[in-house]
Order: sequence, then structure tokens, then C-alpha cells
Amino acid sequence: MGGSVASVSGRAPAVEVDFALIGHQESWRSAADVLAVLRGSERTALPDDEIRDILPWIPPRAVCHVEVGSNAGATARGLYIDSFIPPDRLGPAYVHENVARVRGAAACAINAGAKIVSLGGFSSILIEGNFDQLPEKHDTAFTTGNTLTVAFIVQGVKKMCALQGRNLPRATLLIVGATGDVGSGCARCLAPGVRCVQLCARNVERLRKLAVELKADGVQVEIATDLQQFSAEADVVICAASLASPSLLLGRIAADAIVCDAGYPKNLSPTAEMPGAKVFFGGLGQVAGGLSFAPDFRGVLNRHPFPDVVHGCLLEGMALALERRFEPFSHGRGFITEERVQEIEAIAARHGICLAPLYNADGPLEDELHCHAEWSRAYEVLPRLGLPRDYRSDSGQRA
Amino acid sequence: MEPLIGLNRSPIECTFLSLHAPIWQDVLAQAVTGELLAAMNYTSLSEICDDPGEAADALEHAEGERGHAAAFAAEARKIGVDAVNNVDAKHWKRLREAFMRCIAKRDFIGCLIVQEIMLESFAVASYSRVGKVAPGTLGNTFAAIAAEEEEHIGHAMAILRAERALDPQRFDDKVYRLHLDVMTTLAQMLAKECKDGHCEVCHASCVKPSLSEVSLSAAQLRGASLQQYLKTLDALGIPGEVTLTWVAQLPV
Repeated sequence: MGGSVASVSGRAPAVEVDFALIGHQESWRSAADVLAVLRGSERTALPDDEIRDILPWIPPRAVCHVEVGSNAGATARGLYIDSFIPPDRLGPAYVHENVARVRGAAACAINAGAKIVSLGGFSSILIEGNFDQLPEKHDTAFTTGNTLTVAFIVQGVKKMCALQGRNLPRATLLIVGATGDVGSGCARCLAPGVRCVQLCARNVERLRKLAVELKADGVQVEIATDLQQFSAEADVVICAASLASPSLLLGRIAADAIVCDAGYPKNLSPTAEMPGAKVFFGGLGQVAGGLSFAPDFRGVLNRHPFPDVVHGCLLEGMALALERRFEPFSHGRGFITEERVQEIEAIAARHGICLAPLYNADGPLEDELHCHAEWSRAYEVLPRLGLPRDYRSDSGQRA
Repeated sequence: MEPLIGLNRSPIECTFLSLHAPIWQDVLAQAVTGELLAAMNYTSLSEICDDPGEAADALEHAEGERGHAAAFAAEARKIGVDAVNNVDAKHWKRLREAFMRCIAKRDFIGCLIVQEIMLESFAVASYSRVGKVAPGTLGNTFAAIAAEEEEHIGHAMAILRAERALDPQRFDDKVYRLHLDVMTTLAQMLAKECKDGHCEVCHASCVKPSLSEVSLSAAQLRGASLQQYLKTLDALGIPGEVTLTWVAQLPV
């Protein structure tokens, strides 16, 4: 990357840091892979028990340099900073410890001179949009990245409906984690285009508030704190809950429902038996202009079956850096609107950052590559032509 | 040795300490050995200081470390055991040799890096952990000495930061070379199990498997020490992604 010459200590010459991405490992397997890369192939890999012993003691720090290219010819350089939250310590018992870790990671980003920082995974959930919990910000802007995540979830749902020949305007849409920043953003974007929306979350007051907002736009809304309370089976489901581990069992949904698991960590329990459901992982984007890591963490930090795929929350920081817009684009909770989603989609698309090919735990979905090529072309070309978003509707459901 | 358990201690403390005296004996033996080695290192350092003020500081530090060793030895006597030191034990000897290579080169900065950044990180972190779980004066002594050692580090950090500011890459390369030498040995000492034989400090078999009986563990002491080391390197300004790789490559 950048032709830099490392010294004996492995120290690369200092470069300008446009963006920083704050994340953590979703599983012990991914944590082991990160440490294996750092350890180098010439050394024996650390045994799993040693990894579990050592990782919780590692202070937040940069893990690698990241360079992202734009279709428009721009390049942005940054750092991936891991908060080293242990994968089994995402639960409520560790909130204070984990907030301190995110603060530590944010301090690393500030010290590195990052102009914009994306809070990936649980980082933004822990901060809950309260950026005043972060260290004094100096010239560094923080974004949760949730707006681009919402954009990719919405695009994914529409694409999956198109692939499966479903009629979204006639569908009942269930959003689990509906009052969160991502869940409520998805509701605002998708609810006006479906027959009925079911909102599920733990906080009744927040549910009622969101329902009132959506009903004002003429949307048919049901709310419940328990998935079993809804009157009908959902045809399309978005799982966007803040769960410490994959543990969600959906229960009453249509046998052939389309299910978007947009959680990090994933929401759906591995024991959830939904044989007829079409499950895909949502909120992911792909960089067409090239993505590189130093050291080379390709396929390790971004473990997906396709190259250059990254979570939308992290891509938002990269897209804004490529656009030279160093601003807290996504902040707070519940402020994601359809207009803001369109704006970040256009920025991302301008730089070749588009919806990633759809896949799930079993791998890429049917006829994926062909469909993706067409979809990507549409999303890359149309914003440059200045065409409104409704022209990009894949199945006419937003007419 | 006359058993002194019972002086100024509660009955619960007495029971706990007497029950686990062989464990504390080995923990204290490592601490006394480490402090005496530090005293020897500072004395050697005083001999290469060109500035009389620096030489006096080094001798004062040496005296301080001897005082720490004496305090740990006194704690051992209080629980009726003898904390025998062995600065020639295999790991400690290698650490001393690494320091003496810097002395031979009259490398003042190298000496500070080995003693203050590497050895003291290990001491501060492990003493702090022991200080939290050891009862009564034993815990207080560990905690107090951890705090004093941390002050030492603070003093050295100002000198080392100024040195790094002159040529960061050269400085980082030097730290890395010393890391390979010293931290590899420390990592072997801190491994969860002593795979390559007896450490020559524990009075009988290896104490590590027994540490859980006093709410400690070798893994915890290693983790805390590596964390302290990484934070100290951060405070020096060495990039975190670089030091993470160094630590990830240590033996376990």
C-alpha cells in the first residue's frame, strides 16, 4: 500500500489519515484469524484457549492501514481500529467496560488525526448516538454509519423481493429492533411502500411514538413487544435488533418469508429452523474502486464470500472521506430519513460503493452474480445521470 | 524460621495466609529476585552515566529497589516463610544479560527501555494484581510498591519521549530489537505453564497451577503485564498497530 518502506520494527512512514473505522470481532474464530495474520505464517497459530486469555487484555488500537479507491478516481487512506471487545462480552453486564473500550478506540482515531470516524458493529450501539461520551473531538467527526447501513438493507430487501418475484406493496413487513436507529430508519424508508408494517421492540413508548409518526403518513402499523402478538404472519422480515449473540427465534412468519438479518453480531439463532424462508445478510456494500489493507487482512476483517465487501456502517465513513465531507452524517438515534438515505446512497454510488451481492450462511444466493451485475450498474449509473431514486425501483413497488 | 503469623493480622487473614504460605512464598521469591535484579541494573547504569546527576539518580533507584526487596522479604518472614532470591535463575539471568549488553555498549537509552519500559511494566502490572487479592499488609506492600514503580516509569518516560522525538524510526527500531531480546524471555516467564522446565525460583514445583487458590492466575498476570507494556509503548508514541504485531508474535 502506497509503496511505503517498513523499518525493522514494522513501522511504516506516517501518512495522512482521512478516516478511521472502529470495530470489533464478531466471533472467536474471526479474532483468531486476526491474531494469526499479525503473528505471521512462520509462527504456529495461537491455541484457542490462549486467544481467549490474551484478547481481553489488548487495549484498543489500530490493527491495519486501509486504502479505498473511488470510481471517480479519488483515494482515501485510513485505519481500522479494533476496540478488542471480546466476542462473548457484548452483553449488558459489560456495558461500562465496553463503552470505555470504544472511548479508547475513539481516542486512538483522534490521536492518529483521523478526519472522520465510523463506529462499526456494537460501537455505535454502546455510544447510542451520544457523541459527548467520546473523547474531546478536536477536528475529528464521528458518524455511526447507520444511514448507509439502512440504505443497503432497504436495497437488499427490494432486490431479494425482485429475485423471488415478490410483490412488496402487498407484503406485511416485520421489523425486529424497530425503535433502534437502523430499525426506525428502515421503517421510514420501507413502510410507505408495503401493505402493513409490524414494529417489534422492547420499549413500548418508543414503539408508540414511531407508530404515530408512520401512521401520519397513512401507513398501516401494528406494534408489539412480543413477536407472537402480531395479528398476521409477516412476508418480509428485517432483523435489526441489538443482540449480544445470534439468539433470535422468529416463530410466526410466513413459511416462505424473506428475512434480512442485518445484525452485527447476527440476530438469528443458528437453531432457528425456517426451511422455506429466504434468509440473507443485510446492510453490506461492495467497493468497486478497490480496497486494500496493510498488513493484508483481506477476507479476514471482511469475511464475506465476495471481495471488497464491508458493512455499510464502515463504508459510510469511507464514502464520506472519498467525498471529502468530514461531517457527522449519522448521529443520534431516530433521525434517519428517506432523504438522508438517498443522499448517502448517491455519495456512495458516486464512488462505486454499492449493495453487495446477497448471500447467507450457506453462501451466495441463486443467480447472484448475474443479478448483481445489473443491479450494480443501475446504482452506479443513475445517480450520475441525476435521475431520481424511484427510477431505480427494481420491481415497481415504489411507483 | 520463627513463624510470625498472627502479629497484627485478623484470624481470617492468618488462616488464609498460613493455608497458602507456600504459594505466597514463591510469589514473593519472584518479586524479591526481580527487585534485586533491578537494583543490580541501576547500579550498573550508574557506572555508564556521564552526568553525575544521572548517576546519583540511578544509585538512588538502586537503593529504592533494594528497599522493595527488603520489604517483600519482610512480608515473607511475617508469614513464616523464606523468600529465597535467585538472580541467576535461568530467565532472570537472561534478562540481566540483555541489560548488560546495553551497558557494554554504554547505551543509556537502551538500559532505560529494558528496565523501565519492559521489566517495570511487568512489575507494575503483576504487583497491582497481587495487591488486589493478597490480604492485609502483604497486599498493601505489593500495591504500594506497584505505585512507586509506576512513578519510576513516569520519570523515564519524559527522557524516552524526548529521545524518540529526535528520530522516531530509529528509536522504534531500537525498542523492537530490545523487545525481541527481553520480551521473548518475559513471555516465557509469563507463559501459563513453564514448558521448558523449572524456573529455579519456585521453592518446589511450579507455583503457576496453584495460583487460582489465591484468586490469581498465570494467564491473568500475563494479560495484565502485556496490557501495561502496550499502554506504556502507546504513551511513548509508538504506533499501536506496530506494537500489536510485536506482542502478537511473542511466544506463549
